[in-house]
Amino acid sequence: MKLNSKVIIIILAVVFTTSACNKFLERPPEGQLTKEEAFADEQGLIRFANGINTLLGDGVFMGGRHQILNELLADHYRGDKFTGDYSEIYKRQNSYFGATRDDYYNRAYQVITRANVILENLSIASSARPVLEGQAKFFRGIMHFEMVRMFAQPYGFTPDNSHPGVPIRTGVSLNSQERATVKEVYDIVIADLKSADSLLPTEPAGGKFYTPTKWAAKAYLAKVYFQMNSFPDAFSYADQVIKSNKFQLDTSYNHRFSEGMSKEGIYVIQNQGSAYAPGSDLRGSFRSDQSPPGFTFTDQFYAVATSKGSDKRKAWYSNTLQAGLNVLTKYNKAFFDLPIIHLTEIKLIRAEAGAETGSANLAVAISDINEILTRAYGGPAQNLPATASAAAVIAAARTERELELVGEGNRVQEIKRIGVRSSQNLDRRGSPWNCPGFILQFPKGEQDANASFQLNPEGNCF
Amino acid sequence: MNLKGLLKFLTLPLLFFSGMVFAQEKLASGKVVDSRDNTPIANATIAVKGATAATATTADGSFQLRVPATATTLVVSSVGYSSKDVAIGSGPIQVTLEQTNAALNEVVVVGYGTQRRRDVTGAIAKVNSEQLNSIPVPSFEAALQGKAAGVQIIQGNGLAGSGSVVRIRGIGSISASGDPLYVVDGIPIISDPFLRTNQGAMNQNPLASINPADIESVEILKDAGATGIYGSRGANGVILITTKRGKNGKPTFNYANKLGISTYANKPDFVNAAEWLQLRQEAWVNDGKTGLADLPNGITRAQASQANTDWWDELTQIGFINEHNLSMNQGNAKLKTFANLSYSNNEGYIKSNAYQRISARLNVDYNILKTLKVSLSSGYNRGVNKRVPAAWDGGIGDAMSGALPIFPVYNADGTYFTGNANPVRRINETKRREIDNRLIGGLSVEFQPITNLFLKASSSIEYTTAIDDQFESYLWTRFSTPDSGYAKRFPYWGTNVSSTATANYLWNPGKENRFNFLLGTETQEYSRKSYTFETGEYAAEPYWKHPEDYRERRDSLKSAVANNVSEQEAYTFNSFFGRVNYSYKDRYSLQLTARVDGSSKFGANNKHGFFPAAAAAWTISEEDFLKGNKFINFLKLRASYGVVGNANMPSGKYYANYRNGGINYNGDPTLYLNDGGYGNPDLKWETMNNVDAAVEFALFDNRLTGEVAYYNKQTTDLLLEPGVSNSAGTGKIFRNVPESKILNEGVEISANLKIVNTNDFKWSVGGNIANNRNEVLEWSLGPDAVTGGTNDTRVVKGLPLGVNYLVRYYGVDPLDGNPIWLDRNGKQTKTYSLDHRVYAGSVMPDFIGGFNTSVEYKGLTLSTLFSFVIGGSIYENSAKYQFAGVSKKFWNVRRDFLDRWTRPGDVSMYPRFVSDATAFPGVSSEDQFNSTMFLRDASYLRMRELTLAYRFPANVLKGLRNIRLFLTGSNLFTWSKYPGGDPEITRDFENSQDRNLSPNITYLTAPSQKTVVFGLNVGF
Repeated sequence: MKLNSKVIIIILAVVFTTSACNKFLERPPEGQLTKEEAFADEQGLIRFANGINTLLGDGVFMGGRHQILNELLADHYRGDKFTGDYSEIYKRQNSYFGATRDDYYNRAYQVITRANVILENLSIASSARPVLEGQAKFFRGIMHFEMVRMFAQPYGFTPDNSHPGVPIRTGVSLNSQERATVKEVYDIVIADLKSADSLLPTEPAGGKFYTPTKWAAKAYLAKVYFQMNSFPDAFSYADQVIKSNKFQLDTSYNHRFSEGMSKEGIYVIQNQGSAYAPGSDLRGSFRSDQSPPGFTFTDQFYAVATSKGSDKRKAWYSNTLQAGLNVLTKYNKAFFDLPIIHLTEIKLIRAEAGAETGSANLAVAISDINEILTRAYGGPAQNLPATASAAAVIAAARTERELELVGEGNRVQEIKRIGVRSSQNLDRRGSPWNCPGFILQFPKGEQDANASFQLNPEGNCF
Repeated sequence: MNLKGLLKFLTLPLLFFSGMVFAQEKLASGKVVDSRDNTPIANATIAVKGATAATATTADGSFQLRVPATATTLVVSSVGYSSKDVAIGSGPIQVTLEQTNAALNEVVVVGYGTQRRRDVTGAIAKVNSEQLNSIPVPSFEAALQGKAAGVQIIQGNGLAGSGSVVRIRGIGSISASGDPLYVVDGIPIISDPFLRTNQGAMNQNPLASINPADIESVEILKDAGATGIYGSRGANGVILITTKRGKNGKPTFNYANKLGISTYANKPDFVNAAEWLQLRQEAWVNDGKTGLADLPNGITRAQASQANTDWWDELTQIGFINEHNLSMNQGNAKLKTFANLSYSNNEGYIKSNAYQRISARLNVDYNILKTLKVSLSSGYNRGVNKRVPAAWDGGIGDAMSGALPIFPVYNADGTYFTGNANPVRRINETKRREIDNRLIGGLSVEFQPITNLFLKASSSIEYTTAIDDQFESYLWTRFSTPDSGYAKRFPYWGTNVSSTATANYLWNPGKENRFNFLLGTETQEYSRKSYTFETGEYAAEPYWKHPEDYRERRDSLKSAVANNVSEQEAYTFNSFFGRVNYSYKDRYSLQLTARVDGSSKFGANNKHGFFPAAAAAWTISEEDFLKGNKFINFLKLRASYGVVGNANMPSGKYYANYRNGGINYNGDPTLYLNDGGYGNPDLKWETMNNVDAAVEFALFDNRLTGEVAYYNKQTTDLLLEPGVSNSAGTGKIFRNVPESKILNEGVEISANLKIVNTNDFKWSVGGNIANNRNEVLEWSLGPDAVTGGTNDTRVVKGLPLGVNYLVRYYGVDPLDGNPIWLDRNGKQTKTYSLDHRVYAGSVMPDFIGGFNTSVEYKGLTLSTLFSFVIGGSIYENSAKYQFAGVSKKFWNVRRDFLDRWTRPGDVSMYPRFVSDATAFPGVSSEDQFNSTMFLRDASYLRMRELTLAYRFPANVLKGLRNIRLFLTGSNLFTWSKYPGGDPEITRDFENSQDRNLSPNITYLTAPSQKTVVFGLNVGF
């Protein structure tokens, strides 16, 4: 029995040691942090907010996909070579399946949710609290804005903007959220950006505008109001940014997308070379100095863009780099800083908003547009006279905007904005500005999570 | 009560009974063994003829019975054996019983023990070594196909070493794995097919390194009665693999080999260059375009007309199969040994593709004392997979897609043509070798402190080192010098440690009651580690030729970029379990099992799960009214009910997943929240309620044996990863979804009939068929919330899991050649819309099964096995591109699509060819062109095995124990309506969800192998 007792003791020992060992059942994956570990103090939140900048600059979002989707919907490019998702977006009949669009949408809401994580954990912040709150609201605001522009008919599509917008997310939740109206979305965008404007610093961390500042919030407010055709506010915010004198127009067209050479950038995603290179998908789709790019201009737009011999911006085009193809050269670089919003756009906003609002603002507008024209033509030859009419300034601003912001995803939003403004159909492909296919379809996942989620009508454009 | 108290409690009645002795008695003792192999027969009844005294044998077959001094004869009986009268002598009596029904007495391995078949109350199918080694297979589990009712084996595709999809009684999981638990000699092993995700369009198959020649038997546990003892891991069924052990006898050796060839079972057929060019032009004109159609990648018409490359032929070969196996067996009272050495090299039919296995096994049982045994189970397996790219990754996949016949392999100057996909260049100039070294070792100590009490403690380790060596030559990297190729290596190390302690007590109060108690505890810990970054460099040759270069590079990277080893996946289990078996008069059996599982996979709020099960059986043929019946030799009813779980999900999913960024931004550190990483403390196993009822029978002098079973399994708390609203911004997140329930309900029938059974001539037939009805009973998400990995199948309430949800293709409008669709209401329309999609089919078959027949005349045997699938659908996801091959997709066009519209009035199977799929109204892109046009009947009948074997008679052997020669073919013939090649489809899966929902979805999947081998077995 002596031996028996020993065996029984061994068994009991095994039983009790294993059962007592609750830690044995904890095996957190290596390298992962729990929320408590991640946000042990405000430094955690600061690091977390800092990371969001890189989420924005990734190829799947502002680093290419955002511009690509906008450019596909617009009227500058040949469509005959596109296949798959690109083809259907180009044809303005985006269906509810498609990873190209889904990944883009998901990324925007990832950023919104991460902004909400910051806002929900502000209690651990101390001195950095205002900046953190400002950054979170800035990110949340610009994401809601870009989403409502891409997935909903434009502001002004209905008189009271009661047409469906996008889901508004102001907290972290797995629950489904139905679409708010466009008005509601713009309201939260403006509220968030105004709050960011009041909370963010005037000087960026590290001295370069690689993180959001007050000026980024104001610039985006100008952009939002401009999109709303709400010109006094657009003028006012653009004016504040310009008058800060923190940003200068680049003299060279090679600088806006460059490694640290641009002075235009109001909010810029920093290039860090092989460690982190924003704008990968811009290069992937447009870069034309190595092989034929996916995006090539129609002969029609190429002719428009290169019609004036003295225009320095012609350097952005080539029909010889790749035989038989009209290509963009703006992104022909291995690396560049990625401006999310820059002074040229703000100048163009102030110019057009100034002309729209008139009186004293018109002179400012003429000066702005002439500054752009002088740079473009290497002198004042193409400038507007000081007595130019508001209509002439508006026309010039629109023309220069199309040329300046080529390849930056600007055109389709202008087609819609001007469609609302003056019921004009600018689209060179002939579609009415408000046809359903001009906006993207939602990922089907939204409706699968909630049957009452309202999808967009599809197609019916040219 | 502690264990000691429990033991006291259990032993008290025994003492009580043993005290009930009578005066004027004598002691009869002895041992009862099986006539075939002298294995002890437990629980045989020993009764005094003409008196009431009786007892039952213990586990080792021995008995002691006090009998009246006048008694002279004992009657020894046991179910499945003919009873025997034996005289009571002065010494111990050796009783040898003859079997009446071998099947009833076979030993069946159950969780943490063994049982005689007749005592089994759960649903367990057994496949023995001979059945398992009948054909060469890429991986042992493929050999189970058609051999066990209700066990669906979809054999792997044609790549060497590829794994099968194994489904036991259907599938009840979505994001969690639906694969069974594999247990080798009591050790739960790693069988995860996603250890290297889906790299190179091939899933990992850790099972490939298991040597089928090592296996004594495979038991497939199907119902809760059988799998209940595995608790949270029993829901998908359990496959118990038992390796061979030494048996009593002098040292004997066995040598076996197989030599043969392999090719593809079916080949998809594509048009040649001239046809392709003509079709391209036809599509061009169909779309109203004029002039000559443009050709891809700037190739001229003259160049295109010259090539006519048959890429399939360029890439395939007749593979050579070469297997050798040498084993040794020895056994005496003290020591029993089984040792095995194996080498096999199975070349696939794709050039450069082969799976080589070297394995060694040593299993030793040593009786230190009569009551103390030490057992070692150890196996080393080395699998070397010479891999080739496939499917979407190129190689043979290119030959079915973008490698067009109009492009050449080589330029005129002999260099590779690089103007388009060139899979010959790919296969020649990129090499990949995956080496898996797996060591499984277990040491157990079994001690019998008192009669009928068995204590067992075992510890085991499964250690894997896996190396993935890749090499791209300079002709692939397109640099100029031979040393500018690129070599890289990705190793990982897996450690799986488990230990088990069990106490087993047999208690037979009176001759009619038998109890068997089992209590146990088990812990398991698994971790897998790998380097953070790749180790690679420019090189002229791969690392496997220069391991010293690898080591040097690895060490330099450790300091240069802090390339350290980190844990990628780890989990723990800690469990307690118990089982009580009770049998009354060998007629009524009851089994209760329970298990408590704790795991690091479960959230803090659900750390432990409790899983009870009960099973009962009634052996009607033991009842007096049937005993001795001439027609009904055996008849048993059995039923079980239990709750089991599925914990087969990735590790660490309940923890929040914040991670420090690897790089700074703007000079400051970053922190990220990974998708799905919000943390879910409620995360737990899936729960399955499992009912099983069956009749087992042996009729007509045991000539007809079989089983009819019914089961009903309902899974709730389904684990789901997708389906969260996109705007939640959290990404996919593992959670148990409320309002979720999946049913698997089915009937299985298996039967064997010995038509002729004489000494010289035997003819038997057998077979099984199973029907499984799968239905999503409760579901709250939309039809597209869950898609197979690449958007192919759906989960819809009221329909089977993995339904084909497609636009219905009605036919072609003879006027314009455009397709006619049916909308949701069945109304014809010529405008395609995803909103027309309806339930159109299911990847789940209606019936699966197999049938076999064997004719044996003297030593010559001819046997065959057919496997079949009835019902279910195949969706050809790549066919939409193959159909539209002459559009701007530029793919090969499958020949069956030539039945197309070409001019008004044509009545054809397929629409007109177009130069852009969007030319069909409503089709938004060629990707969104899914319809029943590409949905096929998945039914097939396959001659899985055909074997002619000859066993030499004993009188010519001259010192050898036996010689057997055989010729075997596998997958020789297939009958199917499927036009796309092989109807048995295991494609490369993206994840478990894809594997669960999309087994019959093909995307450039390589057809399975067909093999013919000649084999020799010699015993000496």
